[in-house]
Amino acid sequence: MTPVAAATWRWLAQRISAAVLAACVLVHLATILYATRHGLSTEAILARTHASRLWPAFYGLFVVAVAVHAPLGLRVILDEWSGLRGRALDVLLLLFALALLAGGLRAVSAIA
Amino acid sequence: MTHVQRHVDPTLAYRFACRVGMCGSCAMTVNGRARWTCRTHVDAVADAGRVEIAPLAHLPIVRDLVVDMSRFFDRWAEARGAFVPTATRNDAFAVVPPSAPARKAVDAAIECIGCGICYASCDVVAWKPEYLGPAALNRAWTLVNDARDGAHAERLRAVAGDAGCHACHTQQTCTERCPKHLAPTGSIAGLKRLVARAALKGEL
Repeated sequence: MTPVAAATWRWLAQRISAAVLAACVLVHLATILYATRHGLSTEAILARTHASRLWPAFYGLFVVAVAVHAPLGLRVILDEWSGLRGRALDVLLLLFALALLAGGLRAVSAIA
Repeated sequence: MTHVQRHVDPTLAYRFACRVGMCGSCAMTVNGRARWTCRTHVDAVADAGRVEIAPLAHLPIVRDLVVDMSRFFDRWAEARGAFVPTATRNDAFAVVPPSAPARKAVDAAIECIGCGICYASCDVVAWKPEYLGPAALNRAWTLVNDARDGAHAERLRAVAGDAGCHACHTQQTCTERCPKHLAPTGSIAGLKRLVARAALKGEL
């Protein structure tokens, strides 16, 4: 892949992940409001998430979208403000993406 | 400026040519904001009776209020800002309906006078000097919408990449300050769409 194509795919990935995140955040906020309004306990929430494959799938998608979106945004900020570029920047952001993915999926596994 | 040069400091260096908002040579920073000085009335911009005039930002100063515009126009060349003909002088004239959507897109962006106000006003240029900038990208947009041009694919490759159209943050300072009331932000958004489509088709 040419550098130009790679840059365009990064941009596309960030836009697509942003669209996914917009929907995920709304569902997540609605879920929080529902849980707090109905006074659901931790046990009651976990019972519901354990009973359905949809919740882990939903939060798994949420985590993947975050792991794609945040490093790409950070890449632009570091590029413009710190001058950090090239392989060093790519490696740093890959590690950041993996850390987000690992932390997020660990949390998802707890509700699965 | 002419008054200052004639009556206060004859050594003052500044650029102007047409005096009617056509040539794009008199852009300067007036009270912290890039403007074309030929069409800017002092009473409209004076702040508590004071006017501070400085050279355009983001470009090297040659002397006083004169900047070296080379970098600005180099970006036009990098963005493939030159028309690439597909016909010869022996061919018939191309028929381009004024109502065609592509032609309308060209019409909306073609009146750029190359003054550099958008370039001097763009934060992305400040953070990333190799960024092509609003004017060069706006020029490329007029050419990718030109049915007669023969370098669409090369031009899309030229305006893509980290220093190309996708570096724009859509802050719209260029659009707000363009003295010709063009919308480079809209042109850049159009390029983003075309480049993204080319990437999806594997044409980049």
